[in-house]
Amino acid sequence: MSNLLGKRYQCAACGATVLITKAGDGQLTCHGEAMEVAQAKPLPSSD
Amino acid sequence: MNIAMLLEMAADGFGDRIAMGGHDRSVTYAELRWQATAIAAALAAEPQTVALDGELSALVPAALFGSAWAGVPYAPLNYRLPPASREELVRRLAPVTVAEEAWLALPPDPGRTFPDDPELPAVLLYTSGTTAEPKAAALRHDQLTAYILNTVEFAAAAEDEAVLVAVPPFHVAGVAAVLSSTYAGRRMVPLPHFAPEAWLRLARDERVTHAFLVPTMLARIIAAMEADPALRAPSLRHLAYGGARMPMPVIERALELFPDTAFANAYGLTETSSTVCVLGPDDHRAALAAGDPAARSRLGSVGRPVPGVELRVVDGEIQVRGDQVSGDYLGNGPQRDKEEWLRTGDRGRIDEDGYVFVDGRADDTIIRGGENLAPAEIEDTLLRHPSVAAAAVVGVPDEEWGERIGAMVVPRDGDTIDAEELRGFVLARLGTLKTPEVLVVVTELPHTPTGKVLRRAVRADLSQPG
Repeated sequence: MSNLLGKRYQCAACGATVLITKAGDGQLTCHGEAMEVAQAKPLPSSD
Repeated sequence: MNIAMLLEMAADGFGDRIAMGGHDRSVTYAELRWQATAIAAALAAEPQTVALDGELSALVPAALFGSAWAGVPYAPLNYRLPPASREELVRRLAPVTVAEEAWLALPPDPGRTFPDDPELPAVLLYTSGTTAEPKAAALRHDQLTAYILNTVEFAAAAEDEAVLVAVPPFHVAGVAAVLSSTYAGRRMVPLPHFAPEAWLRLARDERVTHAFLVPTMLARIIAAMEADPALRAPSLRHLAYGGARMPMPVIERALELFPDTAFANAYGLTETSSTVCVLGPDDHRAALAAGDPAARSRLGSVGRPVPGVELRVVDGEIQVRGDQVSGDYLGNGPQRDKEEWLRTGDRGRIDEDGYVFVDGRADDTIIRGGENLAPAEIEDTLLRHPSVAAAAVVGVPDEEWGERIGAMVVPRDGDTIDAEELRGFVLARLGTLKTPEVLVVVTELPHTPTGKVLRRAVRADLSQPG
């Protein structure tokens, strides 16, 4: 399973967030569970 | 996280996209990365602060990211200052080297890595000093990356998006424009010399979709559009503004002239790594459509805090805290209190729905006979007069009242202003207490290079006897 560049993965148990700065294979886990891709927060461009 | 990581990710993710330039002459994000490594390699022998003494060009993103790659601070200077003042600013940054155009042709160093010390200062910005001498605000890597990661989604820009950058590189919005465009994957179209007609033409010719303006620029663009209906920016989807208070009559007219554009009001300080509050597009249109004056007044709001920022008002002054908030100055310790709150020096309030209103700098408040008066309301009223193009209201020293209200106004092109008639116009709307006692008509207001009214100059001018 590959992790996507620039995506954030979050742990449902503790809220820890990981930002993917280099794409690669593997499964991110935290508290024994696979971390889920966090949804983007839409925010208007301010600059 | 080093801000160089933002470029590393951009170059890995969408390296063939244009980072800066028109469709004819441009640099891609992959090329920008190689330029940054080349500059970092050249700086490695003798690490020192990099000063940038010039207008917006391809050297700006290269010097910003090259400095970060080398782990040294980047300090863009106000190139419009006289040479002696710039030399003094450079001297204060020593050890320092000044970035040169030739750096863009240095050989890349593909294997070069950047340091991972988030507490290093990344950017030094001399604040504009509308009321005092300039001092250098220090923004660290972790503060700038906190701002970008909290407000921009990686690769969020569509392939056709282009942002017109008209703010100079030494303004925090000029730094933020490079960082957010890079992380979003948006092409930057530079306009080094702002003129309203040039801005509108470039926006049309380069199919610009995004732009950021300070209020004085937007007011001048509106005047140019009204003078020439052929001057339009048809592809502009998103217009953000900030850097100074936006007069209500200006934003109301802008919403009419750009009916299909999404507006965002960004409030922030140099010391807060740019934006801390945003009033978004839906809020703008809802306020414009509202018949209820309270709802309509939200157009004068700066919206709500961005993710990661907390905001409160203490004794009428806005305070902020969050990972992007600095408040450190070169040669000075942190200005944040023990709980990390930074006093902004801006007066403001928060309404019941959490919308923040900025009434102006605390220093600008006019205290007349013990009465606190905000210049904003009086300036907006002056601007509602059909002959007034620009207005600045300040407190003028007065033996009897402590301060009197002084106004400096600029007529619209081809118009004249009768000072007594204009005072009567304000009197009918705001009453005697808020009517300017001194009113002077001029051809132009004194401004800082980034478009803020230079209030101390207005005050000095209006304080002259006779």
